[in-house]
Amino acid sequence: MNLGSRPGSRRCEAQPHRLRAATNLGLQLASAALVVATTCATATHAEDSKAEVPKQELQAKMAYCEVCHGPNGQGFRGFYPIPRLAGQQPEYFENQLQAFIEHRRTNNIMFNVAHVLSPAMLTSLAANFKNLEPKPLGGAPKDLMAAGKKIYEEGIATAEVPACASCHGPQAKGDGQFPRLAGQLNDYVFSKLTNWEKERGQNPANPDASAIMAPVAHNLTKPQIEAVAAYVSNLE
Amino acid sequence: MGLFAMAKPAEPYPDFPAAAAGSRKRVRRMVNRVGLQAVLPAAMLVLVVSASGRAESGGLEAKIQYCQDCHGPSGQGYRGFYPIPRLAGQQTEYFENQLRAFVERRRPNNVMANVAHVLSPSMISALAADFRSFNPPPLGGAPRRQVAEGRRIFEDGLPGANVAACAACHGPDAMGKGQVPRLASQLYPYLVKVLTNWGKERGQLPAHPDTSFIMAPVAHSLTRAEIEAVAAYLSYLK
Repeated sequence: MNLGSRPGSRRCEAQPHRLRAATNLGLQLASAALVVATTCATATHAEDSKAEVPKQELQAKMAYCEVCHGPNGQGFRGFYPIPRLAGQQPEYFENQLQAFIEHRRTNNIMFNVAHVLSPAMLTSLAANFKNLEPKPLGGAPKDLMAAGKKIYEEGIATAEVPACASCHGPQAKGDGQFPRLAGQLNDYVFSKLTNWEKERGQNPANPDASAIMAPVAHNLTKPQIEAVAAYVSNLE
Repeated sequence: MGLFAMAKPAEPYPDFPAAAAGSRKRVRRMVNRVGLQAVLPAAMLVLVVSASGRAESGGLEAKIQYCQDCHGPSGQGYRGFYPIPRLAGQQTEYFENQLRAFVERRRPNNVMANVAHVLSPSMISALAADFRSFNPPPLGGAPRRQVAEGRRIFEDGLPGANVAACAACHGPDAMGKGQVPRLASQLYPYLVKVLTNWGKERGQLPAHPDTSFIMAPVAHSLTRAEIEAVAAYLSYLK
């Protein structure tokens, strides 16, 4: 279902950049580059009217997300550990919301949340959470940090575990489809990595990038997962 | 009707001065005893036991009895002049935080402020642990016809109205976790009262914001009928 929305969302993929551009243009406006700015803004609007999410609607939706995902998308420990969204890569963010809709990632609550979002809203939310930068929520055991850092940076060659840093980056900020892990709740990271094959890539007809992590999650022991989760959760 | 009366937080309440004074004496007695025992090295163990409140079983039993005067047998909840919440099975972290909230006036309630401010930290922990272990059946009494709709709201939320699924934080069986309260078997009129009055009852000390702010937009976005439905559903959950 909702496959019809996919081309729309793809069309909006450039949107975060456009929002950022719009902000920059706003600044330029203030510094009197008035004509150029106005021209660009008009061009943006004409290109994709779908991208215009009323500010009030966006704010209401952000507040709604924050009920569970914590103030500024910091993450929150409800009945389940609810992941940090702040600073997340927009491409990953949007793909996960699509994954809930398409049941590639099975989660009843997030399915309900996601399937009412318009492509433009989805893109705006991704851009907004990307810009938030609250402190990590904390709560992970500090004594595992050193072991976790070693796994993160070097991997475990003898167990066919590649260095996490090679895809998620040396600061765990992620890139594109690779999620940011820095500041992510350690218990959330733990539950994902110990449960990967039951949660991700659940639609065989529609395989996705989650396949990349399957062997890594499989080869890590629980203590190793705990260590690397503790390490990334404390990264700012 | 009774529900609306609850909307006025400053209503004068009956008080329990005799019981409160008695418990003050008990606390003093407990402190004295612990002080003497601490002189002996072997008393370290006793101190540890005292810290968890278990050493004062007499005091604890009397206090549990006192709580049940209003909160019902085994903390089942009770319909007094106001709906008085079920405490049985409640999350200990939430339970303790609410008692502190009454003392600090984050949650204004004259009766509960008086009850809470005489409790020692160890007594609070002991009470929280005891009520957590009770498991009486739900008190019941809610309209049945709203249960199905309430379940839908609890499990799915109202995404179009920006109402988060209750289950995300309170758990699929509404048992709560840590700071997030158990809602299963909670009294229908109590839930309705709290949700229709959230902004006036919780987080009332701006200098000391607490986790109650999380629920503010949810309570605000739910209609009265939706609140009644979800309260009815929860009140029957075991």
